[in-house]
Formats: sequence, C-alpha cells, structure tokens
Amino acid sequence: MFNSLSFASICCSSYEIVIFTLICVFSSHSNLDPLTETYGIPFYLQYLAHWPEYFIVAEAPGGELMGYIMGKAEGSVAREEWHGHVTALSVAPEFRRLGLAAKLMEMLEKISERKGGFFVDLFVRVSNQVAVKMYKQLGYSVYRTVIEYYSASNGEPDEDAYDMRKALSRDAEKKSIIPLPHPVRPEDIE
Amino acid sequence: MAARGHVQDPNDRRLRPIYDYLDNGNNKMAIQQADKLLKKHKDLHCAKVLKAIGLQRTAKQDEAFTLAQEVAVLEPTDDNSLQALTILYREMHRPELVTKLYEAAVRKVPTSEEYHSHLFMAYARVGEYKKMQQAGMALYKIVPKNPYYFWSVMSLVMQAISAQDEKLSQTMFLPLAERMVEKMVKEEKIEAEAEVQLYFMILERLGKYVEALEVVQGPLGEKLTSELQSRENKCMMLYRRLERWAECNALSCKLLLKNPDDWQFYLLYFDSLFHLIDQIENSHSAEGEVHSSISQALSFMEDRIATEEAKESKHLRGPYLARLELIRRLRERSCPEAQQLGEPLELMFQFFVKYGDKPCCITDLKIFLDLLKPDQHVQFINRLMEAVPLGAPGEDGVAFPGDTRALQRHLCVTQLSRSLGQQHALNTQGKLGLIKELKAHYRHGLQFGKSCLKTELQFSDMYCLMAAHVYIDLWLETGDQNMLWQSLGLLEEGLSHSSSNAQLKLLLLLLYCRLGAFEPVVDLYSSLDAKHVQHDTIGYLLTRYAESLGQFAAASQSCNFSLRFFHSNQKDTSEYVIQAYKYGAFEKIPEFIAFRNRLDHSLHFAQVRTERMLLDLFLEADISSPLEESVKLMSLCPEEDDILWDSLRDNRDLTVLVSWNPKDRQLNEEHKQRSLEEDTLWLRLRSLTLRLIGCISALTHHTSRNSEKTTENGVAAKPSSLRSLLSQLENTLNQATQFTEKQLQYPFVGPVPSRLAQALSSGCCQCQLSSLQLPLHLQELEAAGLDESTALQTQISNLFKSLAVQLQDMLEKCKGDPLEVKDSQSTTQHFLLENLVYFVETVCIVLWVSNYCGSVLRPLKSSLQKKKKKKKEASTVTPPVLSAYQEFNSSLQSLLNQALEHIKSQEISLTALKLGALSLEGQTQSEAEETFTKTAMDKVQSSYLRSLQEIGELLKKRADTLKSLKI
Repeated sequence: MFNSLSFASICCSSYEIVIFTLICVFSSHSNLDPLTETYGIPFYLQYLAHWPEYFIVAEAPGGELMGYIMGKAEGSVAREEWHGHVTALSVAPEFRRLGLAAKLMEMLEKISERKGGFFVDLFVRVSNQVAVKMYKQLGYSVYRTVIEYYSASNGEPDEDAYDMRKALSRDAEKKSIIPLPHPVRPEDIE
Repeated sequence: MAARGHVQDPNDRRLRPIYDYLDNGNNKMAIQQADKLLKKHKDLHCAKVLKAIGLQRTAKQDEAFTLAQEVAVLEPTDDNSLQALTILYREMHRPELVTKLYEAAVRKVPTSEEYHSHLFMAYARVGEYKKMQQAGMALYKIVPKNPYYFWSVMSLVMQAISAQDEKLSQTMFLPLAERMVEKMVKEEKIEAEAEVQLYFMILERLGKYVEALEVVQGPLGEKLTSELQSRENKCMMLYRRLERWAECNALSCKLLLKNPDDWQFYLLYFDSLFHLIDQIENSHSAEGEVHSSISQALSFMEDRIATEEAKESKHLRGPYLARLELIRRLRERSCPEAQQLGEPLELMFQFFVKYGDKPCCITDLKIFLDLLKPDQHVQFINRLMEAVPLGAPGEDGVAFPGDTRALQRHLCVTQLSRSLGQQHALNTQGKLGLIKELKAHYRHGLQFGKSCLKTELQFSDMYCLMAAHVYIDLWLETGDQNMLWQSLGLLEEGLSHSSSNAQLKLLLLLLYCRLGAFEPVVDLYSSLDAKHVQHDTIGYLLTRYAESLGQFAAASQSCNFSLRFFHSNQKDTSEYVIQAYKYGAFEKIPEFIAFRNRLDHSLHFAQVRTERMLLDLFLEADISSPLEESVKLMSLCPEEDDILWDSLRDNRDLTVLVSWNPKDRQLNEEHKQRSLEEDTLWLRLRSLTLRLIGCISALTHHTSRNSEKTTENGVAAKPSSLRSLLSQLENTLNQATQFTEKQLQYPFVGPVPSRLAQALSSGCCQCQLSSLQLPLHLQELEAAGLDESTALQTQISNLFKSLAVQLQDMLEKCKGDPLEVKDSQSTTQHFLLENLVYFVETVCIVLWVSNYCGSVLRPLKSSLQKKKKKKKEASTVTPPVLSAYQEFNSSLQSLLNQALEHIKSQEISLTALKLGALSLEGQTQSEAEETFTKTAMDKVQSSYLRSLQEIGELLKKRADTLKSLKI
C-alpha cells in the first residue's frame, strides 16, 4: 500500500512553514513517539542552512505532519564517493504502512541523482530489523558493518550499525555497493 | 579550536597544551599552564585569552573579562588571539564585542580576506544589517568573488525585512538590492543557484510577480535544480498571486497527472477551476489543457479514480479524498452536480472498506464528516460496523475482532462514532455500558501485542484511552469523583501494558494536575522525554501546576528545563544564520530569524522567567540571603519591563492530547484567544508583583543605608516607579476581575485554565496590593516625622489592622481537608492547597514590606528616644504608628503559628486516611482494577502530603524571620 499526500518541501515555502515544520518535527504527536529520534534545534538548523533541498516534509489533508526526511550530499567526486546520505527518516505512527517512507526515500534519491551522486547511503541499527527489511525492499544492501556506531546511554552496550547503500545511475557498474569483507570502526568512516 | 595545524610557529607549540586542557574540560590546568607560559613570554597575548576562557568556564566572569580586555585594547591581529577572543565573547554572550575586535583587525590589515569575512560574520551574529552590507562590498572589492557580492545584497534584503517602515523597504532597500542583482545579470556574472534564488526573493518581496515569472521561466531559471519541482512550485505560486487561473489550473492538472497524490495541487486545481467558472471568458494557457467547467472537473476526477481502481494494489488515498473535497466545494456553491460524484455516505463507506485497517483512516475521514446529514449518522456507523469482521458474541454480548486488521477497523468505527457525538448523547447507564464494552475490547486486544517491544504501543491502547475519556465525560456531567478515580485507574492499567504510550501519559498527567496532585506528574513528564521545542510547546503543563500546588523543588526544576532550552536557542540560532550565508541558503536566513523571534517572544518563556524569579524570592529571599542580594543577583530592575507584551507569541501545543470530541465540543479559536488573554493577564499580575518586590527591596536598602550614615533627616529617595507600578497593578487586577466574571470554560483536553481565578478568590491579589501600598504612606511619614503626623499615623495604623484581617480571611479559606471520604464518596478539595500557597506567597510579600516599614520606623523611634533623653521627659506615650506596627507583628506571629498548626493537622488527618476502604459504589471492579485505582489514589494522597510538607516548611522558615522585624 502506498500513499503520500501533499509534500511541502520547506525550502520552497514561506517562513511560516519552516517554523511550523520545526515545531511539528519536535512537538506533534509523532515526536512523543519513542521510535522517533528527536534532535536538537542546532542539528536541524545546520541541515536547513547547508542542504535545504534535502529536507522534505509530508503533510496530510487535515494539516497533520505525516513524516519527514532529512539528508545531505557529501564525499569526494574524484574518488567516486560523492553521494547522498539519509540522516533522518521518520513517519508518524498513524501514517505508517502507507508507503510514505518509500516515497520520501524516492525523493531523496531523485535529488541525489540530480547532484550526480554515485550512491545513496544510510546507517541503521543492526537490531532494527523492520527498517533493515524495508531498506532492502527499496533496493539497499549492506555495504559494511560499523562496530559500536550507536553509543548507548544507561549502561547498555554500544550498538553496531549497518551502512546500507544503493547505487545510482552514475555508478552503472555498481562498484560502490560491493560489500566490504570486514567490519570497520566508527573512526575509520568519513 | 584555533588553528593548531601550523606546527612551524613556536607559539602554536607552546599554546597547544592549553588548548588540549580546555578541550578536555580541564580548566584549572589550562589556567595554570597559561600562567606558566606567561611568566616566560609576557606578550604571548593568546595565552592570556586562553586563561580567560578557563576563568570564564570556572565561573570567574569578572576576572575573565578584565583579562580579555587587556588583550583586546591592544587590537591584536594574530589569528590565535582573535579566534580565542571570539570563542570567549560568545561564551560570555557578548557577540557585539567580536565586531569591535575585527573592526580593529581590518583597520590594521585592510587587505585580509579572512578578517573581513570574520567581520561580516560578526555583524551577522548581532544582526547589524547595514554594516554587513558594507562589509560584504568591502570584501568583494578585495576579492571579487560572487558570494561576497551577494552577501551584501542579502544584507539589503534583511534591512528591508527588519525595517519598521514598509515604505522604506519598498522604495529603497529592495529596489537597491534588485539593481545590484540586475547589474550582475547584465554582465552575465550570475553563477550559482543561490544567486537566482535571491533574485527571486527580491522580486517576490517587491511584488514584481511578472518579472519573477520571467526569471523562473527564462535561462536563469534553469539554474533552479536542487529542489524537486522547484520551477513548477515557484510558477504555481506566482500564477496564484497574479490570478492567472488558467495557468494555475493547467499546471496543477499536469502535476496531478504526474503525482495523483499531491494534495496541495488538488486544492489549487479546485480553487482555479471555480475562479475560471466565475470568469466566464475563454481561457487558454501555455501550460496545457485548462478545465473551466464543472463537467470537465467531474470527468477529470472520475479518470483519477478509474486509474486508481485499475491498479492491482498500492491505491493512493489522494484521488478518493479529493472527490469528497470536490463534493464539499460544489455543495458550498449549491451546485446540483455534487450528486453526480456520489453520495458521501456511500463514498466514505467505500473509503473505509479500502483503508479502514490503517490507523490514518480516522484522520482522513474526520475532516469530511460534516458532509453527512445529522440523520445519517446512525446509518453511517451501522453501515461501517457491518463491514467489520467480528467473531461470535461472547457471554457478555461483546463480539471481538480476530486479528489486528479487524481490530483497527473496529477501532476506526468506534472513533468515528465518538467524533459524531454518539457517545456523548448516551445517558449515564449507556455510558457505563459503553465503558464496559471498550474495556472488554481493550483487554481482548492485548493478546495481539504480546510480542511487542517496550518501545512499541499496544494495538488496543486507543480503547483504553477512549474509555478513560468516557469516564471523564461522566465525571464532568455528574460530578461523581469515583468516575475520575476509575479513569485514573484504567489509564494506570493501560500504561502498565504499554509503557511508551505518550497519549496515556499525557491524559494521566492532565488528570493528576486537575486533581492537584503534582508528585506523579514529575515522573510522567520525564518519561515523555520532552526535548527542545517541546519545552516550549508542552512545558506549560508542568509550569502551570508545580508552584501553585506547593511543590517548590519540582517547580524550580520545571522552570529550569524550559529556561535552559530558551537560552541555548538564542545563542545557537545566530550561528546557523551565519552558516546559511556561507552556504548561500539565503531564503533560510529570514526563516531562522523569525524562528528565533518566535521562541524569544514565547509566552511560556516570559512566564517561566517571571515565575522562576518569584519562586527564588519566595524560597530564598531573607531566608538564606537578604532580599536585596537576591534581587541584585537576578539583576531585577523594577524600572524595566523585560516583556514585550505586544509581540508575545502563544506557542503552546493545545491539541497535543487526542480527543474525538464532536465539532461543538472542540477547541475553537475563541478558546485559544481567551486562554491567551487569561494567561497574559496572569503574567502581567505576576510581573508587576515581581517588579514591586524589586522596588521594596530598593527602598529598604536605601533607607537602611541612610539611617546608618545620617540618622537625622534621612529622607529616602522615592523611586517614581513604585506609584506607577501600583496603579498598573490595580488596573490589571480590575481587568482580571472582569475577565473571571465571564467564567469561560475550556474543553477538558484544551488549554489549562491559569491560576487567575483561584488567586482572585483566595483574596491574595487584593491583600498583596494592600501590603504593597503601605510603603507609599511610610514614605510620607518618613518625610513628615512623628511629631506632626497624627492623621497619617492613624491611617497607617488602620492599614496595618486591615492587612491583618485580610490575612486572617485568607487563612480561613485554607481550612478544611484536601481529601475527604464520606459515605464511600471521596472528595478532593485541592483548591485548599492552592489557597495555602497563595497564603504563603502573600506572607512573604507582607514580611518584606514589614521589613521595610521597620527600617523606616526604627530611626524614627531612636531619634524620639534621644529627644526624650535630652528633654528628660517622663511621659512615655508611644506614637500610635509604632504601637500599631508592633501589634501588627505580633498578630503576624500568631497568624503564622495558627497556619502552621493547621497544616500540621491537615497532614495528620491525611496520613490517617485509609483510601483502600473506599468502595466505589455502583461499579463492580475486578481485583486487578481495584489495585490500579488504589495506586492512583495513593499517588494523590502522597502528593497532597508532600505539598503540605513543602508549604509547611517554607512557612516555618518565614516565621523564623519574624524576630528581625522588631524595632
């Protein structure tokens, strides 16, 4: 099932919307949801200042915030590592199972294509099987495991991350997604 | 931190250890290391600045500042010193000093691109737009790079945005910015997308939509590639502004064919369609086919639906919802064609068949419920219910869903039924039956979520929440508090199965607050894990209740959460404004600034600022340190009003709690408006009270200093603000009284009422005003002296007496038990707690005023005694004002003793209360249910006890200060 209504990319809207979005991103029902990561304002502002086009929100006909995606472009072109990165993807609980995440990912990939990226990548908790499965369905594969990428609070052990990738058309031979044989440490990734 | 890469510079090598210490948070060692280095190299200025950073971070601001200024006056031009000073000034919240620093640096090294660029950013941090414009141009002259030129242009736009005078923006700043860009266009020097964006922004703000359209559609527009559909979106916006409905219509048609799920384009399509119909003229558009008749729109919609229907799977919601939207619009215009699209009841039923098992179904259908006629409601719900696959009814007649999809469908119908007011229409028996059914569904549904993780919600949580709502309905209707206890018990039960459900927590939190029990709220709120802006949007839930219920420690903490957020926001946002310049995200700059302003002017921010200061004074002033010191420490200045009343923004999220109330019971604009008005009035009262306390402190300070130096003729200065603040307080109090007389009610899950009504009925406002008026008369007495002021003295004596009576009246209103059980009915009277808090607050103020009175009367008395000695008069007639003051103090003493005893007795009877013995009449509760209800009751009981203890402790400390009032 797939659905997404009214995409308002905040980079093209009036400033009331950005405020609305920021407020929503933090305080609507979805953000009291335990699965939704909430970042500090500086984090959002940094992305809005640097990669505004990569910040997309989806809104329901009644005005509710359904979900948002936030990302960036980075990496060296010369080393064929220029790529789009998914920093945050979140869908409000009542709008799950509608294919919204897939739609938001598709938009981020489109933007990365335009920028001439070789691939799109993202990090996901190894334990988050639901997400890993979804990304696989969207054409992503595990490129490498990053050991103890997520630092845990309250005494629990740090958690590993999968670095998942999907090649874009610029990487026709799909060289960028050939899995690494060994896991890496967080300090070894860019 | 600063440049550490250049190992070749020996100074860098020397400074490095200090940087490392600072980076690791070892400020002490950093200071020591800097001292060591400075002994050998006296003019290594950077070491001084680094030492200052260490000092600043160890709370030695004054020393740090002096040290920094020693370096700053030398106008350094070395990178290390400049960067370190920049860091220091930012940490000191003195960004304006950074501008001075780089102004000097560019004067000395006028060709430095780096320093000019730092200067520009320094101006950006403090919003000096004009200077930014000049700095940008200066940079461009040194290094002709496009971004520098456009920094300057953007600074002109910012001058336009921030100008008070709109005319100045439109006739000077924006046209100048436009010409600057045009010059680059003519010279074919436009390079980046950001530059075109900025050009577009300028034209848009000038209202030059035609020109803007030319830019977007012309060769410059080809640069607009980063955003998806950037050009289309901009064109659409301009078509609308220009009222080019044909273009608007054709373009939205085109975009809907591409993405039939984009809601905003349906709205534009319908808007433009009806404009075209009204225009009559034939319409053409370069964008493509234009629909200008209803029949075209009908067939367009039918095509969209047919396309969806033809799909095997992945049906989009958009077309189906758009059809309902079109019906609504046709009906609004009384177009008979509305019928051709179908009967809304049937269409909504079909939508339910498709999407009923998704949680969004209720959200989607809710906005179209008004398409149903009232007499269709029952039929509608029955029709939907028939499409819910349920098993055979069990013993109690309730049929249950067999899986989560069926459950979701059933839940959707149940929510719709509540939204249509069907649950509200039931009588008490009906409601109790409904609750039973909802609880059965809730508990039955738990089996589907057995494997849920702790972070996941239970599938059937909403039943639990809704049953709690129905209990609340019953409580509000009948006043039967047992309903409230059961609601609390049920929510506690729900939370025990679904510990991450924010909605359960929020409703629990609200109910406990309404019951006057703040203790359980602390944990609930912290488990919500509210962050960042949430402190602004839902923080009001905490700060409204903590202090008013006497939980002072928790109140301080709640204020701190919010304040920390607001203060860090002020610093952070400026840094991102600078980043937006660097990356050319020009359109974000005004947005960031508007965002910062929205938070700076937050009503909640002003509230916590004020309440925090009042709270500190109530808790500390004249207990752990003199009032005067506390006032100085919070740099409270009575003459200055730190709240911008006209720009206050209400950022509260008043719809954070789910409610399925029908339209007539929902939160409306009037409620919001009223609530804002109410909160503002209360804030005004509190802010004036705070400033008046500041006045009293200043007066007392002045008087006691005077009496030390010149015992005779000690005429105190009269801050004119006292009189003016008093009259403002009086006026606001009148407005507040008028406001509360209207007795407006908000929906239960809407805004929480402010403390205003209770404060007024407790008598505290009037009593505080009376006490704060006393100093005026004492000032007169101070000027007149004791000999020739009989009338005045009588007046003051009467005021003392009346104040004592008012305080006694207030105390009477605190008497009674906050929690009572009679005939298996419990009654909470939490307003008693609130009244006690008002009593204590008032006592604090009265004591400060009394202290001032003492400071005036003391020298009068001693000079009188001296005179007596000189004249050796035997007669010892005490002037009436002195004896009245002494009487007042002794009545205060007995009043406080009375209050303390009363609180003690309240504590004793509360502790003795056995709530477990309370059987909830008329409700057969299972044992498990009883346990949860009992838990809730225990929490309330324990919270009341804690409130009483904290209030009692504070009052005791206040009573101990009484002896210092002797004259």
